[in-house]
Formats: sequence, structure tokens, C-alpha cells
Amino acid sequence: MTDTPRPVVSVRDLSKAFASKTVVSNLSFDIFPGEALALVGENGAGKSTTKNMLCGLLTPTSGEILVEDNPVTKVIGAEHGISAVHQELSLFGSLTVSENISISNLPGHAARIDWPAAEKTARNQIEFLGIEIDPRALVETLGAGKQQIVEIAKALLHANKVLILDEPTTSLTAIEREKLFAIIDKLKAGGLAIVFISHFMEEIYRVCDSFVVLRDGQQVGQGRLADVNQRALEEMMVGRTMADARVDLAAPTQVPALDVRGLSSADFTGIDLTVNAGEILGIAGLMGAGRTEVAEAIFGLRPATGEVRIKGEFAPRNVKAMMARGLCYVTEDRRTNGLFLNRPVRENLSAASILKFVQRKLRGFGFQGEKAKAQDIVADMNIAIPHIENNVSDLSGGNQQKVMLGRWLATLPDILIFDEPTKGVDIGAKFDIHAAIADLARAGKAIIIVSSDLPELLHITHRMAVMRKGRIVGEFMRDDYDSVKIISLAASAKESTSNAA
Amino acid sequence: MLLKGLRDIASRQKWVAIAMATIVLGGILSVVSPVFLTLSNFQAILVQASVTSIMAIGMTFIILTAGIDISVGAILFVTSALFAQLMISTESYLLAFGVTIICATSLGALNGILVIRFAVSPLITTLATYSIYRGAAIHLTGAQNIPVPREMGFLGNGRILGVPVPILILIAVTILGIYVLNRTRLGVYARAIGNSERSAKETNLPVGRVTVAIYAFSGFVTGIAGLVLLARVGGLQSGIGIGIEFTVIAAVILGGTKLTGGSGTVIGSVIGAIFLVLIDNGLNLMNASPYIYDIVRGSVLLAAVAIDRYSAVRQRAALDAQRASLIAS
Repeated sequence: MTDTPRPVVSVRDLSKAFASKTVVSNLSFDIFPGEALALVGENGAGKSTTKNMLCGLLTPTSGEILVEDNPVTKVIGAEHGISAVHQELSLFGSLTVSENISISNLPGHAARIDWPAAEKTARNQIEFLGIEIDPRALVETLGAGKQQIVEIAKALLHANKVLILDEPTTSLTAIEREKLFAIIDKLKAGGLAIVFISHFMEEIYRVCDSFVVLRDGQQVGQGRLADVNQRALEEMMVGRTMADARVDLAAPTQVPALDVRGLSSADFTGIDLTVNAGEILGIAGLMGAGRTEVAEAIFGLRPATGEVRIKGEFAPRNVKAMMARGLCYVTEDRRTNGLFLNRPVRENLSAASILKFVQRKLRGFGFQGEKAKAQDIVADMNIAIPHIENNVSDLSGGNQQKVMLGRWLATLPDILIFDEPTKGVDIGAKFDIHAAIADLARAGKAIIIVSSDLPELLHITHRMAVMRKGRIVGEFMRDDYDSVKIISLAASAKESTSNAA
Repeated sequence: MLLKGLRDIASRQKWVAIAMATIVLGGILSVVSPVFLTLSNFQAILVQASVTSIMAIGMTFIILTAGIDISVGAILFVTSALFAQLMISTESYLLAFGVTIICATSLGALNGILVIRFAVSPLITTLATYSIYRGAAIHLTGAQNIPVPREMGFLGNGRILGVPVPILILIAVTILGIYVLNRTRLGVYARAIGNSERSAKETNLPVGRVTVAIYAFSGFVTGIAGLVLLARVGGLQSGIGIGIEFTVIAAVILGGTKLTGGSGTVIGSVIGAIFLVLIDNGLNLMNASPYIYDIVRGSVLLAAVAIDRYSAVRQRAALDAQRASLIAS
């Protein structure tokens, strides 16, 4: 490291905007052969966009990427020797290992594939990576770890300069993860540059040499990992907001509204939760930690074992019974699971409470009652629409989310579970939604918020539970909130290692 | 033990299941009828299955890409009509064959282009072209019955070295289909696209071109099937090809090709078509009412889909259990 090595890829003032919204701006960093660069940042910081520009899936809006000092407008993976292994693998389950590895570069003529050559290539690639996999096995019969190796073998066929790994360990066991790290070391020793994207700080320190920190699309730090400790790195990621003004929350009561004991399923284990009336409980964690699954299981949308009590009384976990007991769940995926996009706002608002508007003796729906209620909610929630008969698809994300919330408020719930309540909404709507949630708590409702947006949870919760790999691994009271501690707890690999062993 | 072994093979190689079912059904029929186990009866069955088998080979590729083509019966009819008409006006076999096959291939390709252009479900797209193609052909021929020259009958009823010509054509198309599926990029890409279109795009496969080529290939073999059918029937009739898409698609599904795409075999589809003819054969031997046939065919298809679904669920459960034990260890 005494003489300055030449970077294999350099990024200069790189920016990307979608429509008019800038997602990343002015990134400048170098990637060196034989080294691993960590790309770190919170959810939504711009890591994926950066990755996609580096591997050629996206074209930068401005700035340049230099491959061995030659500026390129758009990366062409095969030509420039850059390849990415995405978090969601791009494999074909019903094809064999060797077909998968060589699919984009099949040997022989188009009308006469040389299968023995393809199989030999696959065998060589797999052997080089030091893992035993039958090239003739169907990929869908392999475990997650081996599938990851196949994907890497496939990527390496034309990645002779840079290999980008995006969250490569999320579905791996502890042993598989160690094997992967050994492979990365080997590739580095062979002169390949690695770009490593991970939430797990331990992994970053294990694998990488240098780092770039992104926050809200800005590059807020870079350097060598040897020069910073984990806490400093995490503070760079989280930045701001640690002491942001929080909303004033009223003190919660001590009356338990919802009590969950020993809830378990394939996705989570032994979940215990209690929320008091007037209390807002946050559930923090990384994507894939099982938070949504827990919320859906409580509401009865997923099978699970364990007990749920509402106001001290046992409640069967099915949606009808839960709604009857005043519980509601506002989904994270409002477009596919929540709203009827091509139906009017009025119908969307009344959908969960429609029985209230049905009159007896077959006189049909009381449309007047339904309309009046819808108009009330629209005014209450400050939903910006010209008319309640407009389709929900015409609304902005924030207003759509308000419709979701309004629908459930029409059922007069006592307990509300919100999953990512402000995902994809603008700042103004976010403020309105937060205010509405705080008001609900003040009115004595019990509230659970599942969110990947940590500042949001710091902002509007009384208490926070942290989930990791299907378990609750810690709990914080509002006065002890420490975003760095919470993040490192959510992302720590330590306990999961002992679980897997 | 033997049963379990057979079941294992059948779950890995889906076409083995339909082959075993065909053998069992054949065994039953040979007990019921003394003429069943004769060479001439075998030949008759294969000849009867030839048209749907040939079409099923093309359909296999389409279903492999998770698509479907409802219009194959109409393409079959267009082919027959065009050939008959051309023979009358030009009396040139070469010209008539050439134009007919090119037209059938183009109609298939047009299906493919519409499917990728409009990104509407192939079901609706080809339902529309079904109506357009058949309507155009009826308009063209004025819904007349048009006879074809006697020599044409060779293609349908002739023999070479004692083997009926339709069987030879079926064998040739089967070999072609197996080759294309296993030894060409087109075949591998078709399976890959059907398995995961997202992965195919991320891997930079030419999804659009492959889709068009697959539908064109299906049109091509349907053109061949149309000529065989025309030769067997002896002339154009307005009922040609009506309802045949059901038999063709059923043969492919019975043969073990997954409707959701990604896995399937050519040989399975051919055996599936033969199986359906055997069922007709059996009903015929039992002197069943002609109205029963459709009920039985439909029920068989439903049963095949149910069995496939059941085994897929079990397979996934077994795989999950295996993974879970891996993670636990």
C-alpha cells in the first residue's frame, strides 16, 4: 500500500434523479483492485441506486464513471468486467447449475450448444470457488447458500474487474456465511475488486478495507475501515435526527390493551408484546427481521401459535374476531393489499365498516350514511381530493395512506397496528399522519408502529422493541432512545450465529 | 419398492408419469378388445394422434415460456384453406406448400409480436387472433368445401416402407422439437424465460425475440399439421380445427409441462396426445355415447392438473423440510 495503486473504477460527481427527484447526488469514490469497498447507509439512503449505476442497470443523470481511467456513459457489465449479485438472485430454478452459470454465454453455435463445454466451465467455476455442487442439479433443489455460490459463479464469468455483492448473507446460515467470506478473500487475493453492501457491521469489518457512507442520497463519509470504529461509522449513517425535536406525547395509561404471548411461526419465535391504552409501541428492525409477519399474525392474516389477549380477554386470531374486538391493521403495501385503486374514495373509506351502513329489511345500502361518513373522514384527515367519488388511484401516496387510515378509523378501533405508515409519502403528509397517530394515542388508543424509518420511530413512540431474525432482541424506553445502539442491536450478527449453531 | 421407485422417477421426469398411464390404459384396452394389440391398430392410433401431437410439440414451447396460444386451431384452418385455394388457382405444389408454411409461421409470429408489444395476457391476445384468423379464412373461401387433388392423399394415407406417412412426419417433428429444446439457445432461453422473466431480463436474455420465435415455431409446426389433416380429410371443410386447441393444450399439460412455465418435455406432450386418442379409442370400444367423450376428456385434464398440483405441493414441503434441517444443523 505504499505506492498508490490505480483504481479500477472511479466515480466522479455521480448523480441520479428519477423524474425531478434526486435520489443520489455527487458521489465521488474509487474502487481498487484486490480490495473490498463497503457501501453503507440506512434503508433508502441510495445504496441500491448507486449499485445499479455501477453495474449498468441504471444510467447516471450526471457525473461520470471511469473504468480504468476511461470515462463511460453507461456501464455495460459484460464489456467492462463489472457484475452484480443482487439481493434477490437472478437464477432460474428449473434449470441446472451449469445452464444457469453459462446462460448468457452459451458455448458453441446458437443452433448447436456445446453442453459438455458448458458443464466443464461450470465445474471449473464451482471448483475454483471451493464448493461441492453437482453441475447437473436443478438450482431449485439447492439450499440458499449454494444458490448464492451459483449466482457468484455466474457473475464471475464476466466480472473480471469488479464484483458487487448486495446483502449477500441475509438468507445464509452461519457456516455458509463463513464459506462466502473465505471466497471473497480468495477473489480479493486474485486481484478482483469487491463492492460489498450490507447492514451488518461485523461483516463489513470482516470483509472490507474501505468504506463509503451514504445518507439521504449524499455521500457523508469515506475512508479506510482501519481508521474508524464501528460506533463512528454508525453515527455517520444515522447522522442528524438523534436529538430532533420529538412530538409531545401524552403519558400512556397502565391499562394493557393488547397482550401477545409466545407467538411463533416459521418466520418468528416466542414473540411477547404488551401495549397499554394510550401507548405507542414501535417495532424496529431490518428488512426480513419478521416484523410485518408478526403484525399480520396478530391480526389473523397468518397462521401462528401463541396467545393474543385484548383488554385481558382471550381473542381468537382471525380477522373477523379481531375487528369485532376493536383491533385493526393498516398494511405496509397499500397499493396491492390495502386499497381498491379503481374504486371511489367513498367506497374505500367505508370498506371496513360497511355493515354499519346496511339497513335491515332489504332496503339496500344507506348510501346517504356512507357518503356523510366519508365526507367527515375526508375533512378530518385533511385528504386532498376534489370529490369523494374520485378513484383512489388519482390520489398522491400521502393521500392514499390517509384513506387507508381513515377506513380503519371508521371502524372505531381501540388498537391500531401500523405497518410502515409513512412509506412513500411526502413530508407534509408524513406530518399529518404522525399528528393523527399522536392524537389517537392521546384519545386512549393503543398503537403499534412497524417501521424501517428509525427517525420516525424515535419521533413518535413511547417505547420501542427491536427485532432481529424473528426474535425480539431488545426493548428501549423513550428516555433511553439511542439510535446507534438500536441500529447495532438490529444488525448485530452475534446472536444469530449462536442461534444457528 | 417398485412403485416407490417409479414414483420417484415420475416426479423428476414428469413425462414418465403420462407414459406409465398410457401403458396402463393400453393394458386395460388390450384385455377389453382382442384387436387392440395389433400392429394395424397401433398405427391407426398414431395416425389419429399425429395432427394433435405435431401441434402439441409447438404448444409445448409456448407453455414453457408461461404463455398460451388459443389460436392454433384457427391457424390450422387458415393453412388448410390457403393450401386448398392455392392448389386450385396455381396447381403448383411447391408454391402452395411454401406459401402455406410461411403464412402459418407468420401468423404464429404475429401472435408473439402482439403478446410482447401489448403485454396483454397471451390468453386474450390469441383469443382475439383466433377469431380474426378463422374469420379471415372463412371470408377468403366463402365457407365452401374445397377438394384437394388425389395425390395429396399420400401425405395423409400413404405409406413409406409400410409406415404411414403421418407417423413419419410426427417422428421427424418430434426429433426436431427435442433438438430445438435441448440443443439450441432458443430452447434453453424458452425454459429460462418461463421460469423467471425477471431473472431473464437481469441476465440480458433477448426475451422479446425468443417469444416471437417460439410462437412462430408453433405456427410452423401447426402449418405442417394442417397439411397432414387436409390430406387425411381429402379437402377443406369449414369445421376443421374447431375445438382442437383444447386437445392440444390438454396433451401438453398431461405430458407434464407446467402451465406456469419453465419445465416440460416434447416427448411428454406427444405421449399426452396419444393418451387422449387412447381414451377415445376405449370409449369407442365401449360403444359410449359421443356426448360422453368431452366429459371424459375434460375430467381427465382436471384430474391431471389436480395430481400435478398435489405432487408440487408435496415436493415443495419436502424441500422446505430439507432446508429447515440444514439450517437447524
